[in-house]
Amino acid sequence: MKYLIATAILLLSSALNAQELLQFDNDSQRDLYRSLTAELRCPQCQNQNIADSNAIVAVDMRQKTYELVRQGQERQQVLDYMINRYGDFVHYQPPLNRYTLWLWVAPVLMLTLLLGTAIYRRSRQPQHNADTKSELNTELDQLIKRYRSKKP
Amino acid sequence: MRKLFFYVPLVLFLLLTVFLLSGLFSDPRERESASLNRALPEFALADLMQPQQIWTPQQLHGETFLLNVWGTWCPTCNAELGYLTELRKQGVKIVGLYYELPRDPTFDAPFNLKALQQDVAQKLQQNGDPYQFNILDLERSLSLDLGVSGAPETFLVDADGIVRAHHIGDINPQVWRAKLAPLYQQWSQP
Repeated sequence: MKYLIATAILLLSSALNAQELLQFDNDSQRDLYRSLTAELRCPQCQNQNIADSNAIVAVDMRQKTYELVRQGQERQQVLDYMINRYGDFVHYQPPLNRYTLWLWVAPVLMLTLLLGTAIYRRSRQPQHNADTKSELNTELDQLIKRYRSKKP
Repeated sequence: MRKLFFYVPLVLFLLLTVFLLSGLFSDPRERESASLNRALPEFALADLMQPQQIWTPQQLHGETFLLNVWGTWCPTCNAELGYLTELRKQGVKIVGLYYELPRDPTFDAPFNLKALQQDVAQKLQQNGDPYQFNILDLERSLSLDLGVSGAPETFLVDADGIVRAHHIGDINPQVWRAKLAPLYQQWSQP
C-alpha cells in the first residue's frame, strides 16, 4: 500500500509539473518545429543540428524557426528563409544541382558498369567451359573403355 | 587494349587519392556566404554609443567599408582590434556590428546599455579603436539576415551597399594581404 501511494504521488507530481517551454497552436506545428530543428544544420558547430547545438547562432535560428512556425509558415517557407541566409549548407538534405548530381549518379553508374562487365565475362566463359568438359569426358570415356577391355 | 584495361584500377585509385588528399587539407569552415553580391539586408539599428542615432543601410552608401562583427566577450575579436586599428590608420573605413550575447530571462541580468558602453570603451582603449562607429545588434537580427555564424566575421561592402567579400575568423596581416586587400582595392576604385 505504501509503495502504491508513493508511486501514485510520483506519477501525479510529474504529470502536474509537466510544462512546455514552447507553446504551439496545434500538434502539427509542434511536429513541424521538431522536424525542422532536427534537419537544419548549425553553421557554427558543424555536424550538429540546431536542436542539438547551443551555439548562439543555433539559439537564434531555433527562435526564428519557432516564430516562423507560429506564424503558420509552411515547411518549405522556413527552409527557404534559412537557406536564403545561410546557403544550402544549412539544410541536411542537399538540393539536386549539377554539383550534387554525382551523389545520385555515381552509385548507379558503378553498379551498371559492374553488371555490364559481369554479363560480358559470363557470356564468354560457358562456351569455353563446355569445350573443356567434353574434351575431358571423351578422355575419360577412353580411359574407361581401355580399363574395361583389359578385364577378362 | 587488354593491357590498357590493366591500368584502369590504378588510375581510379590515383584519382580517388588526389580527391581525398585535397579534402584532407581543405578547411570545412570555408564556404561562400549567401550574402555575397547581394545588397545589405534592410535594418534600422541604433548606434552603440549614441543610441538616438539610428543606422539604416542607405546611410552607409557612398564608400567601401568593412563591416566587422564583434563583441567584447569574444577573445579573437579583441585580438584583431590592434591590426584593424592599423588598417584604419591606413585609411580603411571599418564599421563595427556589435554582436550581443543572447540572454536567458531566468538566469541573466537584464540588458544594461550603460554597462556595455563602458565595457566597449574600455576594451577599445586597451586594444585600439578601429571603428568609425558601432551598430548595436542587440537581437542579432541583422546578423541572422547576413548569415553570420559567429564572431568575428567581416564583410566587405562596396559604395552601393553590396556585399563583395566575406571572411570568417580574425583579420591578420596574412589574411588581409592574401584575401581582402586585393578585393578592397578593386571595389574602392570609383
